[in-house]
Amino acid sequence: MALTEFKLPDVGEGVTEGELVKWLVKPGDSLKVDQPIAEVMTDKATVEIPSPLIGTVKDLKANPGDRIPIGGTMLTIETGGAAATATTPKTEKPKAEVPKNTVTKSSNGHGTHGTGLDVYPPAALSAVLATPATRRLAREMNVDINQIQGTGELGRVTQQDVINRGGAPSAPPLKAPRYEGVSGETEERVKMVGIRRKIAEKMQQAKHIIPHFTIMDECNVTDLVEMREKLKAKAEKTGLKVTYLPFVMKALITTLRDFPEVNASIDDEAGEIVYKKYFNIGFAADTPQGLLVPVIKHADRKTIMEISHEIMILAEKAKANKLTPDDMKGGTISITNIGSVAGTYATPIINHPEVAILGMYKIAEKPVIKNGELSSMKTMNLTLTADHRLIDGAVAARFLRSLIERLENPGVLMLDLM
Amino acid sequence: MNQFDVCVVGSGPGGYVAAIRSAQMGLKTVIIEREKLGGVCLNVGCIPSKAMITAGHFFHRVNNDAAEMGINISGKVTVDAATLQKWKQSVCDKMSGGVGQLLKGNAVETVLGDAVFKDAQTVEIKSSKGSKVIAAKNFIVATGSRPIEIPGFVIDEKNVLSSTGALALEEIPKKVVVIGGGYIGLEISGFLSDFGTEVVVLEAAKELLSGIVDKDAVQVVVRKLKKKGVTITTESFAKSYKKKGSVLEVTYEVAGKAQVVEVDKILLTVGRKPNSDQANLKGIGLNIDEKGFVKVNAQRKTNIPGIYAIGDIAGQPMLAHKASHEGVLVAEVIGGKNRAYDAKTVPAVIFTDPEIASAGMTEEECKKAGYTDLKIGKFPFAANGRAVSLMETDGFVKIIANAKNNIVLGVHVCGPEASQLISEAALAIEMGATLEDLALTIHPHPTLGETVMEAAEAALGHAIHIIQRPLARASASSNHKTV
Repeated sequence: MALTEFKLPDVGEGVTEGELVKWLVKPGDSLKVDQPIAEVMTDKATVEIPSPLIGTVKDLKANPGDRIPIGGTMLTIETGGAAATATTPKTEKPKAEVPKNTVTKSSNGHGTHGTGLDVYPPAALSAVLATPATRRLAREMNVDINQIQGTGELGRVTQQDVINRGGAPSAPPLKAPRYEGVSGETEERVKMVGIRRKIAEKMQQAKHIIPHFTIMDECNVTDLVEMREKLKAKAEKTGLKVTYLPFVMKALITTLRDFPEVNASIDDEAGEIVYKKYFNIGFAADTPQGLLVPVIKHADRKTIMEISHEIMILAEKAKANKLTPDDMKGGTISITNIGSVAGTYATPIINHPEVAILGMYKIAEKPVIKNGELSSMKTMNLTLTADHRLIDGAVAARFLRSLIERLENPGVLMLDLM
Repeated sequence: MNQFDVCVVGSGPGGYVAAIRSAQMGLKTVIIEREKLGGVCLNVGCIPSKAMITAGHFFHRVNNDAAEMGINISGKVTVDAATLQKWKQSVCDKMSGGVGQLLKGNAVETVLGDAVFKDAQTVEIKSSKGSKVIAAKNFIVATGSRPIEIPGFVIDEKNVLSSTGALALEEIPKKVVVIGGGYIGLEISGFLSDFGTEVVVLEAAKELLSGIVDKDAVQVVVRKLKKKGVTITTESFAKSYKKKGSVLEVTYEVAGKAQVVEVDKILLTVGRKPNSDQANLKGIGLNIDEKGFVKVNAQRKTNIPGIYAIGDIAGQPMLAHKASHEGVLVAEVIGGKNRAYDAKTVPAVIFTDPEIASAGMTEEECKKAGYTDLKIGKFPFAANGRAVSLMETDGFVKIIANAKNNIVLGVHVCGPEASQLISEAALAIEMGATLEDLALTIHPHPTLGETVMEAAEAALGHAIHIIQRPLARASASSNHKTV
């Protein structure tokens, strides 16, 4: 019997560490190849880490909530003879054993020789493509350059790769005071892990970076409701559920074409505004794990039916916690329709690095007096929350008015259809 | 007793550089030298040998190339060995004096004498003027190496010379035997034969420069040495020598048979060994490996806290520029910076005729390292305008790249000014440059440097100034389809 250390494999481009969400095995469990061992959450998604071999779980080397660097030991597996020579699991790249990432203290300064003569970070392997200056930067930042997947040409490790790996904080975490609890009262403490922690970090970051403001208005959707009712029946025959979301997306995209600053990002480091010539629309999905924002890519090139279909698939994946990092990448603006549950208006938080988020709320029937006569109309409240660094209040107001005009006259949408 | 932050033992190219950088880091620094500032390199190694090689080459060209260029010399061109020595010495003195000024200018204290460690915190320096004890928080051991002797040959610098003696000859010997065909032996053989000495090289291995440099390069050098009249015998073992009147009778063995050669001087250049048996390094408990090198880590720390080792004493390759690089890094480590030896390549240069220089891996080393698919481009100096106009057309530039991504793995130059050309290659390798990077960099014409660009093009299959087959005609013209 041999003891094998299982290390967190490289789970995706640019991913440097993963947070252990939960173990799917316990010591003593027997393992099959590709059997999920643990759920690990990265910046991009939660992934199940499969077992590379057949054996028995010996020790778990991390606890849920721990952050494990790529190459860090997760658990030890006892393997027996020939059975151990199983195939490599899909997520693990066939590469040489990743060096240990443990920092041997005493590598710096004088008179602090440790017992061994190991140096951290270890000297650059000759196969690593990085300039001398980048290698030095890695050393100064205590980053093991041998473990970085370079993003440059031919896998070159760039200075930015080193900086990213070194965890140079883009926004210093605000230190909130410790919550001491109230003596005598019953309180339950649960570790803040996984998607919850990720959401907390993202929201904190967005609020920290972006000066938010929200503008609200009411939209007469009588015609839209009527139009959707007609289409709905037709679509249902093909098994599709058509909601208001794809209509709002279409109206949003045509409006965005007139207001490029709303479909943009700010590159703070370069001091540049990035106008996006493509339209990837994120939509907030309420899932048992928490808020997730899958993205409809190039929604401008898709029909209402196609978008409806994609929304259905993504929403199901979100509920089942099966969204891949790709599913949530590259959004240019987001829509939240949490108002369909309750609330007349909300002030959502922008999905950084986007610069705006559209809020849509529940449809209500309201009495109106028009030309002295009482009649009724269907209304929907809309909000636009924008990054005030880039979008002025007047621009946001004009944007919202333009969007409302489109939604109030859904026939006009036809003019923009390709 | 003086207390220093840093005490550097040995002022060669490792030691003096370490001392200067230590001082630049704001550390109170002292350096100890038992002979002359600059060590072997500046006084009895790199620099004087280059002076002798330059003079030898000059003399050889005056006698051999001048007439072809239409330069006629009436009367015999002669060498005044004493004046040559004086000039050579002036070169060394200038360099050594420069080191002294740099140390002084950086407020490094210089102490002349033989350093012996009393313990890990103090050294005693003995000189004709008496002795002195210096204490320091950190020591940088940079005490270098010395020539190896073999049984039957004790270096006396009269009959049996080391490189030191060979560089200080007051007259040009008629005939010498050079035991050891490594780079030092061949450099000295080169200038002696230029001055007219009959040279016999005895090499124990199967080939010269025993497998450390590109095989094609060795061939070019061997051919030229032979042309100059140097006799080269490989797989031969020097056994002993006898003084017989005014000549030395050297006995050596080839294939089990004893041979004898009569010479004026014997040059022993079988290698160098680290000076780890000196300065009481063992006495204070420094870990030393079986080859005599002080064991160090990537920061050049030894097993004793506060003691560092750099240069020849700290391991291969025993090259001045490696020592200097380590000197800087150790000084910065002591100064609190996070540094370690992270270099990809230590370029090596051999001042034979023509010169050999290399950076990165040889073909064999590439294969050993697992690079099975290689692109190799070779460009001859004979096709380079500057080389032809210099009347120096022997040799080539060879570039080896990983065929998968064209990243340059090794560059081997044999030819005029190879030593100058190799720095571009070293930069390319350190930067992870590709063949295209070298090929697309405009190199000035007419220069020897163009050969590097052309060799990169050759590796890509389309050098301009040589014909490469098979020709890739398809993309050029459909009228001339190759079958």
